[in-house]
Amino acid sequence: MPAAVSIQGLTKKYLDVFNKSEITAVDNLEIDVEEGEIFGFLGRNGAGKTTTIKMLLGLIFPTSGTATVLGHPLGDTATKTQTSYLPENPYFYENMTGWDVMDFYAKLFHISEPVRSKRVKECLEDVHLDPKAWQRPLHGYSKGMLQRIGIAQALINDPKLLFLDEPTSGLDPIAHSELREIIVNVGKKGKTVFLSSHQLPDVELVCSRVAIIHQGKLLTTGTINDLTAGEKVEIRAEGKLNGALEKIKSMADIVEVNDTHIRIPSADERNVTDILDIIRSAKATIIAVMPHRRTLEEVFVDTVLKEGGI
Amino acid sequence: MSVATRRKLIMALAPLFLLTILIQHIMDPKIAEIHKGEHTVFSGLSNEFILGPMLGLSQAVAGLLWIRADEFFDSGDYDAILPLVRMVTWLDPHEIDVYITGAWHMSYNFTDSDQRGDRRYIPAAQKLLEEGYENNPTVYDIPFEIGWESSDKMKNYIRAEKWFRIATTLKSQDSSGHATKSAPIFVWHQLAHSLEHQGRIKEALAVWQQALAISNAKLKLNPKDFSTRNLRDTEEHNWEINLKRLYSRYTHEINFAIDRKMTKSFNPQTGQPYPDDAYIFTKGPDAGKPRPAATSNPWNCAFNCHPVFIQPKVLMPNGQFNVGNGARVTIELFDYDWHPEKLTHFTFDIDESQTIMWDQHSVINGKWGRKIDMSRDPTMYSFSRPYYWLVFYFDPRQTSPFIQDKFGWSGEGMTDKHYLWTVKSPIPGAPPDRILQKVYKISRAQVLGLEPITEKDVVPNAVFAKQEGEVFP
Amino acid sequence: MVTLAIAKQTLDDMLRRKVLLILLIVTVGMIAIGPSVSFLSPRESSSILRSLGLAMIMIGGLLITILSSIQVIPTEIERRTIYTVLSKPVQRYEFVLGKFLGGLFTVFVMIAAMGVVFLGVLWYQEKHLAAEMVKGVMLTFFQMMLLGAMAIFFSTFLTPVVNFFVTFAIFIVGNLSSVTESLTNNPNPATKIMANIIHFVLPNFGNFNIQNKLINPTVEISNENVFIMQNIVYALIYSAVLLILAILVFDKREV
Repeated sequence: MPAAVSIQGLTKKYLDVFNKSEITAVDNLEIDVEEGEIFGFLGRNGAGKTTTIKMLLGLIFPTSGTATVLGHPLGDTATKTQTSYLPENPYFYENMTGWDVMDFYAKLFHISEPVRSKRVKECLEDVHLDPKAWQRPLHGYSKGMLQRIGIAQALINDPKLLFLDEPTSGLDPIAHSELREIIVNVGKKGKTVFLSSHQLPDVELVCSRVAIIHQGKLLTTGTINDLTAGEKVEIRAEGKLNGALEKIKSMADIVEVNDTHIRIPSADERNVTDILDIIRSAKATIIAVMPHRRTLEEVFVDTVLKEGGI
Repeated sequence: MSVATRRKLIMALAPLFLLTILIQHIMDPKIAEIHKGEHTVFSGLSNEFILGPMLGLSQAVAGLLWIRADEFFDSGDYDAILPLVRMVTWLDPHEIDVYITGAWHMSYNFTDSDQRGDRRYIPAAQKLLEEGYENNPTVYDIPFEIGWESSDKMKNYIRAEKWFRIATTLKSQDSSGHATKSAPIFVWHQLAHSLEHQGRIKEALAVWQQALAISNAKLKLNPKDFSTRNLRDTEEHNWEINLKRLYSRYTHEINFAIDRKMTKSFNPQTGQPYPDDAYIFTKGPDAGKPRPAATSNPWNCAFNCHPVFIQPKVLMPNGQFNVGNGARVTIELFDYDWHPEKLTHFTFDIDESQTIMWDQHSVINGKWGRKIDMSRDPTMYSFSRPYYWLVFYFDPRQTSPFIQDKFGWSGEGMTDKHYLWTVKSPIPGAPPDRILQKVYKISRAQVLGLEPITEKDVVPNAVFAKQEGEVFP
Repeated sequence: MVTLAIAKQTLDDMLRRKVLLILLIVTVGMIAIGPSVSFLSPRESSSILRSLGLAMIMIGGLLITILSSIQVIPTEIERRTIYTVLSKPVQRYEFVLGKFLGGLFTVFVMIAAMGVVFLGVLWYQEKHLAAEMVKGVMLTFFQMMLLGAMAIFFSTFLTPVVNFFVTFAIFIVGNLSSVTESLTNNPNPATKIMANIIHFVLPNFGNFNIQNKLINPTVEISNENVFIMQNIVYALIYSAVLLILAILVFDKREV
């Protein structure tokens, strides 16, 4: 399968006029996004996520490196008919109605009537925007409604590839989960989604693969499964271990013991058999052996802490 | 955008830009035409008015300033108006009414406590009008105003005639400013009057005939135009009155064979033709003989005066003049070193150290002269010079027709032992004028009443007479 | 089509701006109260009515043009709406032209509205159509077109505040074209060179001020209509130059 987005050594440096120094916003980035996947692009605020997306969209120009989007080089207008973009905290023309703003964006894609009205209607329905609000100006919209318009305008051209920049930030929990669902549905239609976010629980739920960047540098990339898969196992047992306890303690960092129960929350995979043997030989009963999975948040924090060196 | 497209766009810039320079070059002469006469000097404009001219809104700012000037007129703040007149006419040199109003204001509105005009403003007012004419050479209004002020204010009928003549050749504007129609007929009327005042009666009659021809042509087009009919009647009346006076005053000059025919017109009162013998005695012992000319009877004027400063700067003329009641004697008192100002350009700043007093007193029962109090207006009468001219004169050409009837338009019948002078007209063929004039040279001490004025102060051969081009006295 | 869609969207957006509407109402009001200045002679009040009317249209047009043109692109960037537009298949030159045309349509609508009121007031006052004034209103529109193109050009690289002062300053200097024209004949070589540069390089907004001729019909200009056509051609070509520059700058601009 060809790559929807292929980033090769993309770098963006800004000149800090006041300090006469260079700031590297994106540093030698290498990422490939496969067609049809929902790709999570993770990083703290200011990590270079938006800068990267803007370069991919041709809004700003890279200092060095290249990238292809749907097989086309950067800045190729042909790409834009098949991509779409939802900026972070977007403002739309607030004096226009929801319908008119969608109609305007549709015109930019050279979609003419009667197809245009049909498309606008479909998109507004896809994002579950209350039809009563369609003819109201945007300045009366709630944040959730504006975000729906944002997604809707990103769907107007039935794109192959969507760039969504923090689509769920600042939304109330219900709007939040609804939006998440919309994104999942988009993914189900076979579209590629490039989702930039620091809402890690969302990413964990919707994305198949993620990349984590910090200070412009790519720290890690992989499937959610790979990243969260633990190398640790939790073991629980019942019974007296007596002298065996010292042995176990030498193999696992943490061992919790009370009268009759023992818990080893994160034993190393390689030691599990040995530990279980020791427990069995001590005539204790093994209650549970569970593989331990990390949350994406833990992965993110671990990665950034370890490799980013904050 | 591709590199090639960018290059094409950049290449297109140079020729396009050169084209704008070319068009600008073509337009430049016309820009000068449009803004001719406008001044772009902003100094002296208050802040709220500076931006306007810079944005090319000179006319609008001029309009606003003029509205402001009107408020000053209402509140009597006359001194504030002159700078505004200056600015308005700089910003919009085509505001004809501003030149006229400004000049009228200078000539008539500055007075002393007894409503005597401040004549120091007259040269400036005339200069302003002349500037206005230069900027608006196609419109009759300003030349007419110059003529009017020359006649009414300065009694300089030669100058008046010159400007009225210019006015007759120019156009009149409609309310939207288009100068399409010819000047109104009253310009010809005033031209005729200015000739009458010079004693050039035959020329005046010719102008009345011109005016009649114009009015009659108008009436032919529009017989129900009552205002034109009225004007036509006035012209006819004036023409006939002039003829009548010409005949009664100057019968010795009349070639009856020719001129009598001229009287064959209608009496506007009766609608009947005048009898051919209107100027021939019809009754009495001389019946059938032509009337003698009024000018052939000597008339002893017995003109004199004995001026006294009864208080410092308070003059009592004490004059005599054997003439009918209502004749007016002119009294002028002005700096000995005063010369008619040769202003090169208009300025509303006058020399406050100058003193010029001008007044006219009516003769009643052979006597004339009332108190002239100059002590209350030190800014107008500063008396800062050591010597002054004090002039008393009577010019028959400035007087009413019933006085002129006694001795002719130019004083041909006047006699006087001491103070009668004959002044030649600079106009070739125009009759000389005979005026009464007594001229003193007095000192500041005499003005202040410290020393009396005696006959020794009379300057024997000094005669002040008006010349064309002079704006004063 | 894209350019026109952006222009129409810009026009719709502008016409809903309260600032511009208030400006329009104030200027129209000022024009309408013109006849109350009736204490002067008919000729004076006619010329004052005309000069103030044309001036109000110019000032109103000026403010509307500057306020709309200097902001039209920076606002898009500031509000990030530009991302949603430029990430679609829109060429940057289409965006610049669309924004310029949108501003121009706005100015046209506003000036036309003021012009109609102005002619109406003159009609009411003088009972005949002052058709000559259309020339003045039309030239004001082209003057504003040139100004708008300049403001758009500067807005591609200056902040709105700086742009406001730069545009306004050039407008004032450009309005003194009759002064710079006379200075090109100055004997002092330095003055002469400076005057030539200012006169021929900066756009000459003063060219369009024919109020003197319109208010005072006794002012004669030979071939008046040719002069007006030259002005319009000047405005069109100079605007094209500025727009090309704007496109070149904006094409390389990071948004």
